[in-house]
Amino acid sequence: MYRKKCFGGLVPLPLGLYDMTLGLKIKNISKTWNPDSVNPVVALKNINLDVALGEFVVLLGPSGCGKSSLLYILAGLEDASRGVAEFDGRQIVKPSPERGLIFQEASLYPWLTVKDNITFGLKISGLSASKKEAAAEKLLKLVGLKGTGDQRPHQLSGGMRQRAALARALAMEPKVLLMDEPFAALDIQTRSRMQTHLLDIWQASQASILLVTHSIDEALALADRVIVFTSRPGKIKDEIIVNEARPRDLRSPKMIKLARRCEELLAEEVEKAFKEQETA
Amino acid sequence: MSFQNLVKPSSAIANYLKNGKIKNYFSTVLWTFTSIAIFVSLWEFAWWQGWANPILLPPPHIFLSNLSDQFRFFDPGGTRAGALSTGGSFLSVLGVMGWSSLRVSAGLASGFILSLLIGLGIRYFNIFGRLILPLVTMLAPISPVAWIPVAVFIFGIGNIPAIFLVFVAVFFIMTLATLSQIDNVPKNYIQLAQIMGCSKRQIYRYVILPTILPELFVTLRMNLFAAWMVVLIAEAVGVGSGLGQVTMMARNTFNASLVFFTMTLIGLTGFLFDQALRYVQKKVLWWVGPSTVGAL
Ligand SMILES: Nc1ncnc2c1ncn2[C@@H]1O[C@H](COP(=O)(O)OP(=O)(O)OP(=O)(O)O)[C@@H](O)[C@H]1O
Ligand SMILES: [Mg+2]
Repeated sequence: MYRKKCFGGLVPLPLGLYDMTLGLKIKNISKTWNPDSVNPVVALKNINLDVALGEFVVLLGPSGCGKSSLLYILAGLEDASRGVAEFDGRQIVKPSPERGLIFQEASLYPWLTVKDNITFGLKISGLSASKKEAAAEKLLKLVGLKGTGDQRPHQLSGGMRQRAALARALAMEPKVLLMDEPFAALDIQTRSRMQTHLLDIWQASQASILLVTHSIDEALALADRVIVFTSRPGKIKDEIIVNEARPRDLRSPKMIKLARRCEELLAEEVEKAFKEQETA
Repeated sequence: MSFQNLVKPSSAIANYLKNGKIKNYFSTVLWTFTSIAIFVSLWEFAWWQGWANPILLPPPHIFLSNLSDQFRFFDPGGTRAGALSTGGSFLSVLGVMGWSSLRVSAGLASGFILSLLIGLGIRYFNIFGRLILPLVTMLAPISPVAWIPVAVFIFGIGNIPAIFLVFVAVFFIMTLATLSQIDNVPKNYIQLAQIMGCSKRQIYRYVILPTILPELFVTLRMNLFAAWMVVLIAEAVGVGSGLGQVTMMARNTFNASLVFFTMTLIGLTGFLFDQALRYVQKKVLWWVGPSTVGAL
């Protein structure tokens, strides 16, 4: 079901080795919410970013800087005000199963069992019942939810629900996963388990992942590249390449240095945002 | 996850006891009876003190004592209702209750289904919506009572006008409720479906319909009592049988005992009806929307 491990090892490739012609290309995207109203909100300004096939990129930025807006545009759920986003060379105009989106709170359909939730997209694409069943078993095992397939979403814990949402996205075999603060509502232990899990799944699937988070630790534990945003209007402030084997020891001198760097960048932005509010 | 194995029910009864369901059930029944008992004893007390005239306000022990005397006024067919001395039986009382219930059920069911279809159609087909919505909004505030002459003009006397009036009582309100429910479907439910590759038709069928059904059923239950009130009026005016007709006849013949006896039956039937709908809701539409965790 999942493409064979391609990069084999746990070491991320140097940037030059990713095939940059495929994957996501974000060209000069800006987004203004309610452009015709009295107070339009400029959420994003001139974003340029490429995410190669199989790459893990994390977006880090202060609250309200437009990270979610960017994911929605890439999912095809919202239009950019200016600029274009391309995927595998084609312009993104509408949602597609090849670009999976995971919301901050796992929104499973309450009237379906966990299994039916996971295979919802497969049912839509017309898969037979037996194939669906087999896929469900495989996916449940993959995300560590074996045996819960017949339960209802409200019977699951928050972490289990988030895993079910992940399985639902994976069922469509997406080429890129867009994840909007997927683990924000989980406790630290569950969170780090989920991160490890996500890395395993990512390495087995060869999909690209673009993940939004507030947590510097999460960013550094996961990413090939961390993109730091400015406060609103969101622009790309800096890019930090984490060239380190996974699983990573966040207490190693190198990682601590990177964390410091992220903290400084974010602190500047938060400072700026507060100053602006005071003068306004 | 091992926790799930721990709480696997060993037996249904053990589970019942653990959840306190039986206890809950009994306490509900107890409170219901206490509530009725308080009301009845106040009434009886008023009679005993001579405050309530037994001719005009006969207390329960009077209007429930001579059952066969009451029964003779009940005739499901409506042909010999009135001044008969031979009288009906317990079965004929059930028959009258059954006919009224059938009229309510038919009106509720057709009103529910059609309002759902029209509501979905208004949102699904843009032009249809623009044409129909103003009409629905204008007709909605008209009381079902005002529809009585129309119902009689069109359908004459019989079951159909009564059913039609119940239908009118729920249809317009339920159509508007359907629209508001559709508009309140969580945005990410629909966005998820879009990402999964759903067409518009599939989104309506697999996402919007199951999301709105439970809430709509609650709305239907709230309109149940309105439907009952309407069917009683319709029976009194345009059917010639049913609980409403008996009440009307009792009024016309100044038979206070019969009035209160029929009112008791109406209350009882309405209560049972609500319980039945509750049960259906629990079994068929067990999932609840985000906002219906409350008592309903
Ligand atoms: N649907 C919308 N309509 C209008 N304005 C919106 C909408 N979605 C987001 N915005 C505005 O755009 C700005 C950026 O929002 P966005 O949700 O993208 O930020 P974010 O970086 O994801 O923030 P957070 O980290 O708090 O989730 C905010 O000021 C928000 O008010
Ligand atoms: Mg956000």
